[in-house]
Amino acid sequence: MKLEEAYKQVKLDIAETLAHRKTQKLKMTVLGQNVKDGMIAKLVIFALLMVIAFLYVKPILYMISTSLKSVADMIDPVVGLIPRELNLANYADAWKGLKYPEGFLDTMTIALVGSVFQVFTCALTGYALARLKFPGKNLMFFLILVAFLVPPQLTIVPLYMIYSELGWINTPFVFLVPALFGQGLRGALFIIIFRQFFLSQPKALEEAAKIDGASAFRLFFRIMMPLAAGACLVVFLFSFVWYWNMSYEAALFLSKDFTPLSLRLSSMQMELIGNKALDYSAGVGQDPISEGPRMAGAFLIIFPPLLVYLIAQRWFTEGIERTGLVE
Amino acid sequence: MSGKTSRRRQLLQFRWKEYGMGYLFMLPWMIGFVAFVAFPIGWSLWNSFNQVFITSEGFKYTWVGLSNFRRMLVENNAYPIILITYLQEVLLIIPLILIFSFFVSLLLNEKFPGRGWMRALFFLPVIFATGQVIMELFVQGAGELPFMEQYNLDVILRQYFNESTANMLLGILGKAVIILWYSGVQILIFIAGFQTIPKTVYEAVRVDGASPWESFWKITFPGMLPFIGLNAVYTIVDLFTFPFNPVLEIVRNNMFSPTTGYGYASAMAWLYFAIVLVLLGITLWLTYRATKGRGELR
Repeated sequence: MKLEEAYKQVKLDIAETLAHRKTQKLKMTVLGQNVKDGMIAKLVIFALLMVIAFLYVKPILYMISTSLKSVADMIDPVVGLIPRELNLANYADAWKGLKYPEGFLDTMTIALVGSVFQVFTCALTGYALARLKFPGKNLMFFLILVAFLVPPQLTIVPLYMIYSELGWINTPFVFLVPALFGQGLRGALFIIIFRQFFLSQPKALEEAAKIDGASAFRLFFRIMMPLAAGACLVVFLFSFVWYWNMSYEAALFLSKDFTPLSLRLSSMQMELIGNKALDYSAGVGQDPISEGPRMAGAFLIIFPPLLVYLIAQRWFTEGIERTGLVE
Repeated sequence: MSGKTSRRRQLLQFRWKEYGMGYLFMLPWMIGFVAFVAFPIGWSLWNSFNQVFITSEGFKYTWVGLSNFRRMLVENNAYPIILITYLQEVLLIIPLILIFSFFVSLLLNEKFPGRGWMRALFFLPVIFATGQVIMELFVQGAGELPFMEQYNLDVILRQYFNESTANMLLGILGKAVIILWYSGVQILIFIAGFQTIPKTVYEAVRVDGASPWESFWKITFPGMLPFIGLNAVYTIVDLFTFPFNPVLEIVRNNMFSPTTGYGYASAMAWLYFAIVLVLLGITLWLTYRATKGRGELR
């Protein structure tokens, strides 16, 4: 009798402990040891991010959806983000209006060649600032920072005079030559990135190479550049995208013959709306007839860099950590 | 005696060989800087003290001293107002961008499935947040926050603020999403910044019984101060050199106007540049003050 009771008691105890343990385990997974790694916290974070992310990409979704709408869909207030039927006519209009193949080639010339030049010169300069010894180095670094801060309006007229004197207006040289000499679009930033990268590398390799009798050039091209492949790629990608999108500087120096896509977008607009000049403050934007092709054109323009980003996404987002810019 | 001098000469020769290499590496940049930065800047500074007119024989200069600056501030009724309005706007936008990017990077720093993709998404606008495409979206009003109309924010703001302040706030809110698009790089810098705080510190304070809230304010936030400063500088430069901002637009309009001319426009640009530099100076000083004594300023 007694034995049976004791046995029952023990069994109950065990069940209780097990149940307790189970709830404890559940509690651990849900709430976590620390508030931060529990499931609830994770869900909250995830939900918050999803909401913010939706707001964040909504303008892009809007652009894509508008570009696919027909005029009837545009006027109809019932139609929200999703058009009733896919209408590719806008893309055909935009393709013709932008003269896409030609514009693509022009933009590509600037973006590709300009970026290669920038990678080369900025790496050279960054390396000199990080490793080589010469008087006036700090002054030059300071000047690079100044060049980064100068608003473009300060220098455009003198630059225009210089370029027109050289006969470079309406040719790609206005961007390619400065890029070759380290003054390309946001070149100062790239020099700083390279400088930080080379500073973070161990000196032993160079010392070994020097003892073996390698010249500074050999050392740079044979050892340092291959080491900096990651940094080069990051700089190349950023430079490419920024050159691709550049429109303000392009509008000043390239008005005919050689025009990148971003400029073609605004001239296409004028053709579509008629003679009405482009006036952003007056809100020409609400015009339902030109809106579709314009959005289609905008999408056609951002599509190539978008593709590059999808392929090389890792390099963009990890690049800043990798190059040690924030060390 | 002679051996000593020859040795010194050799040393000097060796030094200059080394220096020469440095200058050789810097040469492309130096040429570029003189031709495309220093010379244009110098020219525009000279212009700002002159009345410049473009005639058939080229430029005609008349020295006018500081009169361009005086005219611009006293006689011109548009420039000071636009300048001040834009400054107010920027001073509101900078904290907005900093707080938003700090918050998002804090969330993105946690571990959860799909984090890489989420990070990629928040960096996406950097890919096209420059140039013409963004103007298109601005015009379409695509950057509006959805709750603005829902809660009649318009009416509420007008009730509590005077006309011009309310208009400015509404303008910012109307473009809010696109403004936030300018926080891509800042988010990345913050995320990289979080990695510099060692995990062991967090473990230590947890053992000591600190709540996550406390450990954020006592460990994370102070550790991040230098990065907040860095991001503030980056944001300021980004916003002030943004080519479509109204101040730069008025400068450009004056540049080609027959009554004012290039000298006058240069003076405007120089005043603007001076203000940006002062703002940057204040930011750097604040960052320095906040991190002083911890030895964390790099």
